[in-house]
Amino acid sequence: MNAGRAGVRTTYGGARGVLVAVLALVLLSGCGGRPTTHHKPGTGHEAASGPVGELLETTDEAGHRLRQLPRADAPSAELTVRPDSEDGWNLKVSASRFRFTPDSVGGAAIAGRGHAHLYVDDRKVARVYGSWHHLPGSAVPRGTHRITVRLYADDHTVWAVGGKAVQATAEVTASSGGSGRGHSGGHHDGDNKGKEDDKDKDTSKDKDKDKAPVDRTVKIAVRDGEVDPAPGRIEVKKGERIRLEVTSDRADTLHVHGYDREAELPAGRSATLAFTADRTGLFEVETHESGLLLTQLAVR
Amino acid sequence: MNHPGPLLLAHGVGSQHDLPISPFYAFAGAFAALFVSFLALGLLWSTSRFRGDRSGLALPAAVQRAADAPAVRLVLRGYGLAAALFVVLHLVLGPDDPDRNPAAGSVYVLFWVGLVPASLLLGPVWRLLNPLRTVHRLIQYALHRAVPGAVHKERSPLGLRPAAGGLFAFTWLELAAPEPASRTTLLVFLGCYTVLQLAAAARYGEGWFARGDAFEVYSTLIARLSPWGRRRDGRLVLRNALHGLDATEPTPGLVAVVCVMLGSTAYDGFSDAPSWISTVQTSPLGRTTTATLGLCGAIALVAALYALCAGATRLLGRAEHPLVDFAHSLVPIALGYLVAHYFTLLTTEGPRTLALAAGSEHPVAPEPPLSPGGLAVLQVVAIVTGHVLGVVAAHDRSVRLFPPSKAVAGQLPMLALMIAYTLGGLTLLIA
Repeated sequence: MNAGRAGVRTTYGGARGVLVAVLALVLLSGCGGRPTTHHKPGTGHEAASGPVGELLETTDEAGHRLRQLPRADAPSAELTVRPDSEDGWNLKVSASRFRFTPDSVGGAAIAGRGHAHLYVDDRKVARVYGSWHHLPGSAVPRGTHRITVRLYADDHTVWAVGGKAVQATAEVTASSGGSGRGHSGGHHDGDNKGKEDDKDKDTSKDKDKDKAPVDRTVKIAVRDGEVDPAPGRIEVKKGERIRLEVTSDRADTLHVHGYDREAELPAGRSATLAFTADRTGLFEVETHESGLLLTQLAVR
Repeated sequence: MNHPGPLLLAHGVGSQHDLPISPFYAFAGAFAALFVSFLALGLLWSTSRFRGDRSGLALPAAVQRAADAPAVRLVLRGYGLAAALFVVLHLVLGPDDPDRNPAAGSVYVLFWVGLVPASLLLGPVWRLLNPLRTVHRLIQYALHRAVPGAVHKERSPLGLRPAAGGLFAFTWLELAAPEPASRTTLLVFLGCYTVLQLAAAARYGEGWFARGDAFEVYSTLIARLSPWGRRRDGRLVLRNALHGLDATEPTPGLVAVVCVMLGSTAYDGFSDAPSWISTVQTSPLGRTTTATLGLCGAIALVAALYALCAGATRLLGRAEHPLVDFAHSLVPIALGYLVAHYFTLLTTEGPRTLALAAGSEHPVAPEPPLSPGGLAVLQVVAIVTGHVLGVVAAHDRSVRLFPPSKAVAGQLPMLALMIAYTLGGLTLLIA
């Protein structure tokens, strides 16, 4: 049932996306010709098909095409990760035959210039404009994760060699202590905006309620089928607002029985679910795919 | 998608569990149970008073005629058969989702849990409704044109043991099977059960159902505590439930049935505890195996305590068959457990299932009828009442069986056992 419901939700989201795209097209074409903007010639957002390298048909996740250079001219990258004493990690991107050019981003591709994108697993978390970058602990869920830095040209095409993007990876392990703060960081991430909007729309009648202050926040992590902290009972007074912050290493669905509240759990990121405990009883909080009990809420 | 695991839907259906009661209620209950137990030892009668199926106030002949009328019996059989067909059709054709398919709720709540109050208030109703009996009769009629029940066949030598096995299989399905509420699980179970029962009935005749059908035995045992009963002379009577309980036949296998009833209900209470759920979902043996072991362990513990106590009774009181002679006195204790654990489920999921069966989409289960405090009182009162009835039944049985000099000593082990069961039941309510 829940998968079905979620499926419908996704379809609506997709339909909305298509609608927006069509509207945008209609608007654009309605204006007649290309709009003149503040962009100087050659600095538009479209990929310049200029003489630098060879544009491949392959794209990255976001749809940026790869721009291939001969191996001798191509940049290369190395990534070094150092834990920060306060929070998260300091990343050093050592790129050879490459210069960070934040002031000309959006312009035409010029060999050996551009910026980098930073990914945690396959999720883009930042654009990098220099060789040093601070990765906050809140951007990395608990557990071991792959950090990737990928080099981009100013026109947002991906620098590539031999059909593959120029990138470097490293692994970081977030423990519950050091970077456990703010696990919900991903929740407000830009990449997730569409989903967030859907969710808001889905529960539009609860939208204002969801913004209400919570009386209690419960943080739970699921990794390798194990629940941390181990399932227990949380005593709740009737009428209290509860916020569940759940991070799962697998994509899953969070479900609060009795209240029948659900939230999608994207893999490796935290999701939150807030509701008012207005029924008394003992209710189970579980994941649907893996069928794990996360905790029990004893509402009195 | 199916609902996962057995843990999260411990009864196959239902989204809410009872809150653990506050220790105050449990202590009050435990104190009452102990007090009554020792009071009973000193103050209760010293010669047996219960007369089993010889007692009771006969109901007016008109009532008896109406109850025994073939038309009434036929209507009841038809109703049982129609309900069974309704469930099977929903299982075969309906969606595989207990939120939209009333079949799972009908089996686990309306039938299994509902059988308890129905039998308690009305008597052994399942005997009259049992669709397997009806199907057996139809088959017999089609094959031999025989008048149902006219052919006398030998009795099964197994006594109530097949029923104990059937009860175990059903409670395993409910509490430990991977997907208790899925259509396939229920169809496979009901199919196998039907085939086995009909085969046994073909061998042993219709009398088989009264001793071999798990649900008839269950319903009949609970109906021992109903105010209605049938006297030895065949009259329908209104009687003291303790007399009815005393009339329980000491059939071989009775102990097994009672132990499965107590053990599975105890496991059901225990399986809600987060520590046990945590054990099950992290166990290297897998969930189903661990849950099965837990269920078997609970039943084995109940049975081992009973065997220990029966052995002690034999030593102290020189009783001949202490094992089966006292089994009936555990029925009220099991009933107390059942009321305490399933009251909320029946009163919330029952109406929801009925609404679903009547065709409404996504009906919402009503609020529990009792506040947490009221429910705690009901649960403790149910368990302590069961205990008191059990103690009284065992006392009467021991003064009948033992010579006066041994009567007090002889019932001590049974008393200790009941106190253990009752304290265990109260502990499960706190957990």
